[in-house]
Formats: sequence, structure tokens, C-alpha cells
Amino acid sequence: MSENPVAAPSTASDVRSRARTGRPPWDLSVGAVLVAALFALPGGYVLWRALTGGALHLLTERRSLEPLWRTVQLAFLVSASAALLGTALAWLTVRTDLPLRRFWRIVAPLPLVYPSFVGAAAFRSGLTPGGIVHDLAGHLGFDLQLRLHGLFGAWLVLTLFTYPYVYLPVAARLSALPSSLEENARLLGDRPLQVFRRVVVPQASSSIGAGSLLVFLYTVSDFGAVHLMRFETLTQTIYRTRLFDQGRSFALALLLLALALVVVATERTVARRGSRTEVIGDRSSLLIPLGRWKAAAIATCSLVVGLALFAPAVALADWGLFGWFRQRRGLAELRLDWGDVAGATWSTVWVSMVTAVVAIAVVLPVAYLLARHRSRLGGIVNGVVVAGFAIPGLVVAISLIFWTLHASPFEFLIGTMPVLVFAYVVHFGALAVRTAQVAVSSVPRQMNDAARLLGAGRLRRFFTVDLPIMAPGLAAGAGLVMLSTMKELPATLLVSPIGFRTLVVQIWDAYEALYLAEMAILSLVLVAISALLTWFLVVRRSDHLA
Amino acid sequence: MHFPFPHARPLSVALLLGAGLLAGAAGLTGCGSDDDTSITIYSGRSESLVGPIFEAFTAETGIAVEARYGSSNDMALTLETEGSKTTADVFLSRSPGPTGYLNDLGMLADLDDEVLVEVNTANRSNGGTWVGFAGRARVLVYNIDEVSEDDLPDSVFDLTGPEYAGLVAIPGSNSSFQDWFTVFRLRNGDDIAIAWLDDMVANGSHFYPTNRAIVEAVGRDEVRFGLVNHYYNHQEVAENGDAQRSTNHGFAPGDDGGLMIIATASVLDSSDDKDLANRFLAFLLSDAQQRYLTDSVFEYPLATGVAPASQLPERPADSVGAVDIDDMAAEFKRTIEIIEASGVLDQ
Repeated sequence: MSENPVAAPSTASDVRSRARTGRPPWDLSVGAVLVAALFALPGGYVLWRALTGGALHLLTERRSLEPLWRTVQLAFLVSASAALLGTALAWLTVRTDLPLRRFWRIVAPLPLVYPSFVGAAAFRSGLTPGGIVHDLAGHLGFDLQLRLHGLFGAWLVLTLFTYPYVYLPVAARLSALPSSLEENARLLGDRPLQVFRRVVVPQASSSIGAGSLLVFLYTVSDFGAVHLMRFETLTQTIYRTRLFDQGRSFALALLLLALALVVVATERTVARRGSRTEVIGDRSSLLIPLGRWKAAAIATCSLVVGLALFAPAVALADWGLFGWFRQRRGLAELRLDWGDVAGATWSTVWVSMVTAVVAIAVVLPVAYLLARHRSRLGGIVNGVVVAGFAIPGLVVAISLIFWTLHASPFEFLIGTMPVLVFAYVVHFGALAVRTAQVAVSSVPRQMNDAARLLGAGRLRRFFTVDLPIMAPGLAAGAGLVMLSTMKELPATLLVSPIGFRTLVVQIWDAYEALYLAEMAILSLVLVAISALLTWFLVVRRSDHLA
Repeated sequence: MHFPFPHARPLSVALLLGAGLLAGAAGLTGCGSDDDTSITIYSGRSESLVGPIFEAFTAETGIAVEARYGSSNDMALTLETEGSKTTADVFLSRSPGPTGYLNDLGMLADLDDEVLVEVNTANRSNGGTWVGFAGRARVLVYNIDEVSEDDLPDSVFDLTGPEYAGLVAIPGSNSSFQDWFTVFRLRNGDDIAIAWLDDMVANGSHFYPTNRAIVEAVGRDEVRFGLVNHYYNHQEVAENGDAQRSTNHGFAPGDDGGLMIIATASVLDSSDDKDLANRFLAFLLSDAQQRYLTDSVFEYPLATGVAPASQLPERPADSVGAVDIDDMAAEFKRTIEIIEASGVLDQ
């Protein structure tokens, strides 16, 4: 760090010019490279199996290119629509006088928590003829003519369940930005929609880009929703061939990984071109009055949250109540042991919280490297960490079993919690990288320098200066990791300690056995727990600085 | 600009708490489980179905059961990846495919004769490395409001006719369908099997990803017929009662449409507890557990001398196990390729 520690009061351009220095300190580089090496384990396994599988020539065939094209199509569509919804909701709930803001801020991120096989199943059965949402709409005079399958069905379901990947970082970003620009625009006569387009979108563009990237990667790695919607993407072929035709399965997984790397690199290039240094917000930000747009804003929020969160919840409650009444009438017992449910709930809560904290700690060096230094190393590390999110959970699990048992000194750890948490972190760490990066760059350097001048050591500066300022951004990233961990299935099944049950494991078991009432009740428990955690850990935290 | 005063404490507490929990969890789970009085089972059947059997086994023998659950293909893939270092003693699979795959890798042990004799030769491997313990019949599910019994076909080959155009659902990517199609192909030859599938596609058959999706779709008359395993309809009826508007039709005895897909049990060659594992397999084939499987799970019992539950359709004459498959992986790979080439997955 070479700047003069007694800097003059900063201006935006002043901060910008000093935002990124060249060569990072050696310990930061080493830390980031170590993190990248860990995150590269699944990708490395895919690469090795693809190269030795003898099926790479298949990649240029029609039967590989067609699912690739469908995957790209779906991922772009879903990213675009999720970006729009997520940004609009974030602005409305953070920056405007929308009624019941607290309520919207708790429920808006929650659709993320539906495991995609549950969400898609609830959707399909609720919205098709005979389903409760379809029939309710019929009573109200709407004839829902939804044929939920193929590209349209997959697009709709994935958009509704992934917009929180954009919503959470953008909301965190907006609550950390000064609202003066928006207020000025208002004073100069812009209507809310114009303010949104001309002021909000440019300010939050890096967070929107980062969130959309996550949506893209989630979409290409999703299996549950595309499976139920009968839309043949790359993951479908990977799953279908995973046992009996492994060469092809891994070749296609490599194709998926290559696609992810290209998209990650593109996003980074675009984001860097428009990169801006952040200024922390003043707390006295005013809310933009929506005026006569209020009704439209409420309608938008209600429609999105209604479709994404409440429609599946209503379908689930319908199944759950059916089972409960059945039990009341003495027809069939609910096959639920509440002690088991409580145990699984506790397991779900603590493993996802531990994962979130570990993930934040692990990606912080990467975030510092990306935010404070311009180096080629940063781009590579970013690519490795973020692209890991595009590798299907099953492949992550299998690769970690391989590395742990056959190529590491940690064989004794197989089937223990550390390996499970490690698998989650490697799979979901990407979710925290960009929010952490934005958080790091929101720390004004001169504040850190001042603390150093006053004799604070590096660690003390980190805990007393950096961390408090970064907290809302880190909390948003941690929230994403936590909600994703809560619903993760394949890695939980394959690498957890035997007997370890999270809620989603129980949900899956009930689903497999066709115990729909039980599946529904467990899913609602999962949603309720997520709501509580989102409130305590994400919403309240970001309020500190809002 | 305000100086945002330290809110550091909650987060650092969270960090410490997280580290503590992690360490505690590592300690808790570090203990080994591979002692004399427990076996580890990798189960491709779900806990709701086989969990009661494991509990009964522990109650009767005092041998604890540690179970990992997942889809059969994922369990086989995990076992292959773990190799001889696996802690698993027993593998339960929904169908013979994944078991045969592990057998080809040389990962399965020869079973004790006492276990093998419980099951008819048609329902166990020729090499003596696995036994079937429950069967599911391939049937035609149909909507009872829209189809009269007189219009039901005797043979799966009838479904390519014009009277079924656009009315039949096929679970093309489903593993039970792949099991069935592999045997169908080996019995009739590739030419006939491919021609049948192509004719089904040309006849406007619909693709659904799972048996269950088909039974649900037939129940609400989204599609009229479907090729499925029999027990999904029994489960739907148990769940929905009279509101479920579908039922099963068995093809004529001996017809290729009505094979039995069997769930299989095997013992890992790397197991240190093969005796206990064989004891579990014998327990699985005991009258009481076979009765449970047919009365509560609606499957066909495979141990000799146990009769199927009364509401099940007549037991098919042949099962997947009856065809000896030399190279399981190669044959299933070929099956997947033929199914893809037929275009049925795009229907």
C-alpha cells in the first residue's frame, strides 16, 4: 500500500483512481491460489475423466449439440427474466415507500428455498386442471390455459425460483448506496420508472450482472425442474448416461464446464469495463414516494411472490391438509415422526449456517484479490471458483469421494461432516464471491489507512474497520449460500455421515414413496425455517446500514 | 459521511460459533462404525419402503443397520468410485441393471447357498452374486373413464396400431423402461425392437420422464394409456382413493410387454462382514418380510412359497433376471443410444 495515509477527503474520482493497485501481497496471492485449488477439484475430476473416457469425439455430434443449444437458450432466457424481476423487486422493497416493506423483504428471497423437484412438482400439479390454483382461478373467472412443459414450463419455473439470486445482491447493493442521485432525479421530475431505468440500473449494474450470472449457472446445472418439465438439456443427458456410459457423461459435463467458464469470463470482462468503486451509504436515505404507481408496484410484488412462493405453498398446503384430514377421519396415519422432523430441522439449520460462515471465510481472500488488485491471477481464481456452481451436485459429490479416498491424506474423513461441508462450500462458494467482492470494495481505503496510522494491526483493522462495513454484503452472500445448502440433495445423500438427515432428504424420501401429504408438510417446514433464518440473518443485518 | 461504528461483535461470534460447531461435528462423527454388530447398506430403495425391514432385522438379531439412501444408479456410481475402500456391505437396487454393472466390475461377492436357494433361478444371477427380493410387473395403465375393457390390447405390439395413435405415454428416459427395453431387445433382436420403438414414435406416442408422471397424467386423462411399473397405480389409489381414475392392465401371459423388473440384493466383495450381510439377505427373503413387501409395498414376493397380495394382477411369466446379460454396461449403453435415436425423448 503506497498511498499517502493522510489523504484528503475523498471524492468519487479520487477513490476510483486508487481503488485497485497492481501486484497483490504474496500472502493474499497464496491464499487465493489455495482456495482456487480446492474449488478446482470437481472440475479437475471432470476434465480427467473426460480426457480418459474416450468419448470427446461425441461432442461435435448432433446429439450433443442439440442439448447444448437448448441449454444455452434456456439459460439466457431465464437469466434475462430473473434479472428484470430481481432488480425491480429489490428497488421496490429497498428504495421506495412500498407498503409492508419488511414483509416483502422477508418473502422475496424465499422462492430460492424450494428444492427444484418439489417446486416444479407443486407447480405442475397446482396449475394444471384438477390442481388447487387452477380451480381457484376458475372460481374467480380465469381460465388458466397453462400447458406446463418444454421450454416455456422450464423457463417459467426456473425464473420464479432463481430471481432471488439477483434480488439478494441487488437489494444489499442498493441499501449500501447513497440515495442522493435518485432523490435528485425525482426532484428534477423523473417518474419512478424513469428513476429505475436511468439511475438505479446503472448504479446496481455490477450486482445485477453478478446475480444474473448465478442464475445462468444454476440453470445450466439444474436437473429437477427441466426433468419434470420434459426439457432435454445437457444435465438430462449427463444424468441418463451417468452409470452405463460414463465417457459420454463426463464429456458432456466438460462441455457444461466450458460453457460456464466462457460465460463467467465474459461477465467479468463486462463487469470490469464498467467497474466503479463503491461509496458507503449515508443512513439518512429517503424513500422514493411511488405516488400513483403504488398500486402497480404492489401488484407486481404480489404477482411475482404470489406465483413463486405462495402458489407452490398453496399446492403443498392442499396436499398436507388432505393428509391431515385423512388422519383426523381415521383413514390413514400421517407417516411422520415429529421427533425425526425436529432432528432434521436442526441438522438443516446448523449445517447450512456453518456452511455459510465457512464459505464466506473461504471466499474472502478471493474477494480481496478481485476488489483491490488488478491481476491476471484474479481472473483465473474467479473463473475457477464461480464456474464450480455450474457443475451438477452429483458430479461434485462423486469427485470429492474420489479425491478424498484415492488421492488425499484425508481418507479417514470420508463420511464425516467436514467432507460434507467442504462439498457444500465448493459447490456454493460461487454464490458469495461477487457479493463479497462488492462488500470489500465498499470499504474506503483511507479509513483503513487512518486506522493503521493510529496503530491498529492488520487483524484488528479487519475486524473493526472492514468487517462492519462489509457486513450487509457478506450477509447477503451468506444468505444465498445458506438457502442453497438447505435444499441441496445429491451431495447430502452421497457424502454425508450415514444417518445424517436434513429436511430435504426426508422430503425426497416422502416424494419417492409417493407420500405427498408428508412431502408437503416437510416442505412447508423447510420454507418456514428459511423465512425465519432470512429474517434474522439477512434482512435484519442489512437493516443495520440501510 | 458517518463513520459506521463497529457492529463487529455479532459476526465474530458467528464465526467462532461456526468453527466450534464444525469441530464438534467432526468429533461426533469421527467414530468408526465397522464393528462386529453392524452392517452398512447402500439402498436404492427409499427409506419409507425398506426402513421398516432394517428395523425389524435389528430388533430380531441385534445387528445394527447403517443405511445410505439414493437412486440405484447413484448408489452404484458411488460404490464404483469408492471401490474396495467402501464401507458398504450390502447393495439393494431397484433393478438388476446397476447390480449387474457392479458385478461386471468384479465388486460383488458370491452369496451363500442358503440365500440363493430361497429364490427361483429365474430371479437371481447365474453367477450367484445377486438375488431378486421383490418384483414389479410392466403393465399398461389406462384411464377407466375413457377406455372400455374390451379395447385393451393383448400384446405390447398392438400399441403401434392406428387405434392407439397419439394415446400412449412412454417413460423413455426411465431406468425401469430401459431395463425392460434391454430385455425386450435381447429376446426379439435389435431389428424388431428398434422397429417397434420407431413405430411407437411414428404413432404419436408421448414421452414422460417417469412412470409416476405417466400414472398421474393418465389419472387426469392428459394421456389415455401408459407403459409403466404396476405399483405406482396401487400407491396412487392408496393415496387418492376413488379420485384416482386409472388402473392397470396386464398384457396376455407370455407377452413381451409384461416382463417383471426385479429389485435385487447383493453383497460387496470388499465387505468384512459377509456372514452378517448374508444373514440380512436371508432375513429379507423370510416369509414375514416378503409378506410386508407384497402387502404394504404392493410388489411381487420372490422367495419361493410366498403368494402375492390379492389385489395385484397376475404375476408375469418372465423376469429381467431370466435373461443372462454378459456385458451389462455395453447393453445398457446400446439401449440408451437406440432410445435416443428413435426420437421418443422429443415427443
